[in-house]
Amino acid sequence: MDIGSWGEIYMNWFLKGLKKGIKTEKFPKTNPIDIAPWSTELNGSGNVNCPTKAIDNGSWNSERCIYCRRCYPLYSPTGNIDIFKVNKKNNIFRRSFYVYPIDIGTCGGCNLELKLISSPQYDMTRFGIFFTNTPRHADALIIMGIMTEGMKEPLLNAYEAMPEPKLIIALGVCAISGGILGTGSQIKPDVIIPGCPPNPYTILKALIEAKGDKE
Amino acid sequence: MRRLIGQLGKFCLYSDTYFEGTCPHIENEEIANSPYGAFNFTYGPSAGGLFESVGIDINTFGEYIRNIKVNPNYKKREIRILDKSIEDAILYIERINAAFSASHVISFLSAIDKISESDIDSDVLNLRILQIEMERIRNNLFVIERLVESAGFQVPLYQLQYLIENVNRKIGKLFGHRYFFGVNSVRKININDPKVDFTGIEREFKTIYEDIIENRIFIDRLQGNGIIKDERSIGPAARAAGFYYDARIEDEFLPYKDFDFKISTYNSADAFGRLIVRSEEIFESLRIISQIKVKSKEYKIKVNDGEGIGRVESPSGDSAYFVKVNNGKVVNIDLLSPSSINIELFSKSMVKNIFTDFSFNWESFGIWISEVGVRFI
Repeated sequence: MDIGSWGEIYMNWFLKGLKKGIKTEKFPKTNPIDIAPWSTELNGSGNVNCPTKAIDNGSWNSERCIYCRRCYPLYSPTGNIDIFKVNKKNNIFRRSFYVYPIDIGTCGGCNLELKLISSPQYDMTRFGIFFTNTPRHADALIIMGIMTEGMKEPLLNAYEAMPEPKLIIALGVCAISGGILGTGSQIKPDVIIPGCPPNPYTILKALIEAKGDKE
Repeated sequence: MRRLIGQLGKFCLYSDTYFEGTCPHIENEEIANSPYGAFNFTYGPSAGGLFESVGIDINTFGEYIRNIKVNPNYKKREIRILDKSIEDAILYIERINAAFSASHVISFLSAIDKISESDIDSDVLNLRILQIEMERIRNNLFVIERLVESAGFQVPLYQLQYLIENVNRKIGKLFGHRYFFGVNSVRKININDPKVDFTGIEREFKTIYEDIIENRIFIDRLQGNGIIKDERSIGPAARAAGFYYDARIEDEFLPYKDFDFKISTYNSADAFGRLIVRSEEIFESLRIISQIKVKSKEYKIKVNDGEGIGRVESPSGDSAYFVKVNNGKVVNIDLLSPSSINIELFSKSMVKNIFTDFSFNWESFGIWISEVGVRFI
């Protein structure tokens, strides 16, 4: 195949891409579209038999909630995606924020939702957020899943391999509190993103805030 | 025709029956001697190219793969499900693997239905079919997306991601959750908004599909890669090798016979064949979905004591549960996951291939480590 043919092939793909037009949403300036309700804030009152004690004494704790709907209709989703907490942010990452995801015992849900922030609807790269294939190049470690015996050492190795300054992000209720399946990550997180799994809107907004972007 | 599916706890499961005992293993062609220059290395458990944590032990000269072993136990989870009620057990089952969550729960519930006095009408069973077929569409799109990502094809990669996100939003709108968590129970199937339109998905996927299978560079990476024609195959791997294997036509518990659809097969037995089968299945699943009318309906399962086996056709093949119930509690449970069989098939198909083929072949099987690395306690 000569260089001309290669050029033709790549131009062809380029045009196919252009033909689709811009698919990226204006989020976070605009509201989320078609959000799955059972991944957002819960609001209500009353005592319920919550299997993870996410509802205790009438208040909802996002860090424990697995969205099993046992509390419905006393508690119901509000559609509010701002359920994350950024305890530490660093605006040194404002222009470029490389994240390394590590799966320490997931069901695959957090892995799938995290990946989707690179889809055209969200396009994380417009905020300077990128995935990296090695913790050596990472600004943040994104921990997903319950703490399993076999992943304790790889998790510590990844943490120690990262350069300073670094952020630790716990993604999903399993990494935060263990959810219903076990215990959370052994490393204390700077950012927590609740959900089972968290939806991509929540993940993206939390990462934007963690990297120190201006409001 | 009877076919052997695999080991389900103490049973060897066949398409129409099961026997107590051990199934014959899928023989992996191991090359015993280790000649000069051959070495072992482990890829994983946590590396950029891997979607989940898994260890892959490879014996190679550097490119030619002599032997390969997959270790799914790095992230092995202990699921504390024994002595739980059926309702509570569902919370655990649906979190074994999010990508196949509906398949797992419906397979589990089918086992419960078989040992219970159930009054489940066809509308409920159709809603179960709807979930499995939506899950199949999402997962097959994901497998194809991973294949084009392996080839570095950015345009179809993002087009497929766009489509996956659209399907997720439709699932989320219809059932309230993008991975069917909290949807199924022993009383009802939770519906959030029954008015969801899937018509745009077929048109968009057809364009992408036609573009990628016309691309010589892409199909060269798949054709002849990971050939496996084994009677022990399941799911798309079996159908890509010409075997007419599908739990949807073998197990009549879910009324698939009421729907107009065809089982997609191919005859190349390689990664390309698996791509074709999965793609054609997306169109067939959309056909099934278009024939289902979404109606929310309550039902009642009176859980009896006893034991039973439930099986469904998950996106990657047979997914089966053996469940024993006593006093309304789960006292014994075993899982036969499609990924456990596909790992054996992948390992066998990888011998004598080259390392460059690895990611294409791995992705073509649609393996999920999370459903293999589990132990029920």
